[in-house]
Amino acid sequence: MPLRSAPLPRMAGQLSFMRAQTKAICDVRPGDLAVLGVPFEDTSAPYAGQSLAPRALRETSVYFGWHANPQFSHPVDIDARQHIQTDGLHERLCDLGDISPERDKTIHTALRAAASQISRNGACAVILGGSDQLSETVKSALPKCQTVQLGGMPRDARDFHIAPLPNGSARICKSNTAAQLTRFSQWRDASKPLFVRFDLSVFETSLSALCDRPRLGGCDLDTVAQWLSALGQHEASAIMLTGLNPNRPGMGVVKVGQRLMVTALLAFIYARLGFGIDHPGRLTSKENVPI
Amino acid sequence: MITTITTFRPPLSQPGFRLFDGPLCDMADVNSGQIGVVGMPSDWTHSSRLGTRFGPEALRKATTILQSMRPQGVSIDPDTRRRTVPARDWLVDCGDAEVTAQDVEATTQAIAEMTEGLTVAGAIPLALGGDHYNSFPACLGYSRGLAKRAPDARFGYIQIDGHLDFSDRLGAWGSHNHATNARRISELPNMDVSNMVWVGIAGWVDGGDLALIEKQGGRIFSASDVHKMGAAEVMRQALAHAMEGCDELYLSIDIDAMDAGYLPGTGSIVHSGITPRQYYDLLDGLAEAPLGGLDIVEVSPPLDPSERTEFLAAEMLFRILRRFRTRPVTEQ
Repeated sequence: MPLRSAPLPRMAGQLSFMRAQTKAICDVRPGDLAVLGVPFEDTSAPYAGQSLAPRALRETSVYFGWHANPQFSHPVDIDARQHIQTDGLHERLCDLGDISPERDKTIHTALRAAASQISRNGACAVILGGSDQLSETVKSALPKCQTVQLGGMPRDARDFHIAPLPNGSARICKSNTAAQLTRFSQWRDASKPLFVRFDLSVFETSLSALCDRPRLGGCDLDTVAQWLSALGQHEASAIMLTGLNPNRPGMGVVKVGQRLMVTALLAFIYARLGFGIDHPGRLTSKENVPI
Repeated sequence: MITTITTFRPPLSQPGFRLFDGPLCDMADVNSGQIGVVGMPSDWTHSSRLGTRFGPEALRKATTILQSMRPQGVSIDPDTRRRTVPARDWLVDCGDAEVTAQDVEATTQAIAEMTEGLTVAGAIPLALGGDHYNSFPACLGYSRGLAKRAPDARFGYIQIDGHLDFSDRLGAWGSHNHATNARRISELPNMDVSNMVWVGIAGWVDGGDLALIEKQGGRIFSASDVHKMGAAEVMRQALAHAMEGCDELYLSIDIDAMDAGYLPGTGSIVHSGITPRQYYDLLDGLAEAPLGGLDIVEVSPPLDPSERTEFLAAEMLFRILRRFRTRPVTEQ
């Protein structure tokens, strides 16, 4: 059950991701989605504030917890006109809290241990960063994993890059999404763990604005959501959100960046849990809304 | 001898801004056919991000600044080739309704009294929000006024919005808040849900609300419909549906139908919403509609330090009021 449902104002109550139940890491079960915050930023970043991102993402996620509100009936996708069955959400989505701010080494050690344990439990870690330096730590906790990177700076040519930041050598993905998805299916080795790095810089800067590394020619929300929905249909061991700085000068109140990231992340979560639409592996039925 | 400088206003004779730099006027002095402006600086019926109580003042300031860039009687509207006329010829600003914090009934009646009075006088009430709940008292007063002015008349309703706002209740806020305004309007006596149309809805909506609207004959156009069909065609169909068997149209403009990438300064932002150009095209589609009343809501200046939100919203008013604020070049 959710921690607290209606009538509860969004700004009140205990803050957890989408008002999900809180759990100890040892209680994470196979098939769970375990949210973990890493309020950490590296001090060489051009702006301070990335450590505030986990809280900002959780606050925004509460806007999307409304389907747990008994005063509402079932949610419907207005374009697809399909019921969205979310009955199992609060059985399988849980929030583990944040890793305590400590010395760098301690944080890396704790994050590596947490990512490893969640993976061993057969669950998927949803890691709310924080600096993208930490994604290397998560990657090291998932032996032989394949990494899909949305946005961000390319680090490893073996990774699958979606709209990476140009660094002079990387090829920017400009071909259509369907062709890229086909290429991804060919690249993907299902015998290996999958790690998804989701950096805010995947979005076109004119949409996000809250990113420390702005870029032109990024993706729109629909494209990113399409990718995350596709990735959620794979047995991902972890997804990590990075690049959000809710403290960017003058933009702290606007919250566009976190809204974009959480909205897109929902596509991953619902696909991973078997909800969503057009998902062949879905666990629940879909029905057309009578019109 | 001291020469009077005509462009200088004596201090405090007209403090603050008026919409389109029009005259500040008592409701009793409003003439038939004029736009009568009512401010609704209230946001305590919103459930999350506040600040829309500063919306009326921001809209007055933004329209005044934009108006100053279009000299009255001289400038030509580039799309219609019509000339701008002074706001005093078509608009009066009646100031703000009295808002009583924590008392939804008193605030509702204060707003409704103003829009009712304007409607009875034959004017077109233009209510400035405030959060979207305030659309209900504005429309309530219009509905009462229409019943007095033309007892048999009925009105259609178009709501441009990212959300349906058709819930019966919302948590701790009960039955009168920014998520229930359309539901309350649907219960007014001289209108029918079959004449209600929503344009710009995005994302997920409550299935029960959606089913109830469509069961009763209401029509919904999503943001994707606007992308696919084009704004002009969507509004053509929306207007035809809303006006079937009706005499006048009430329009509710919730600015949050516009994508938050363009317009972040609003309480409940929407992504993959409609673009500014599409929004303006939607409003252009209502240029000749028989407007009986309208409101524009959810402008929250504190949520957009760049101030672009209030200027985008001001341009919406320039669009929807183009029929009033411009004349053919040949017409004196």
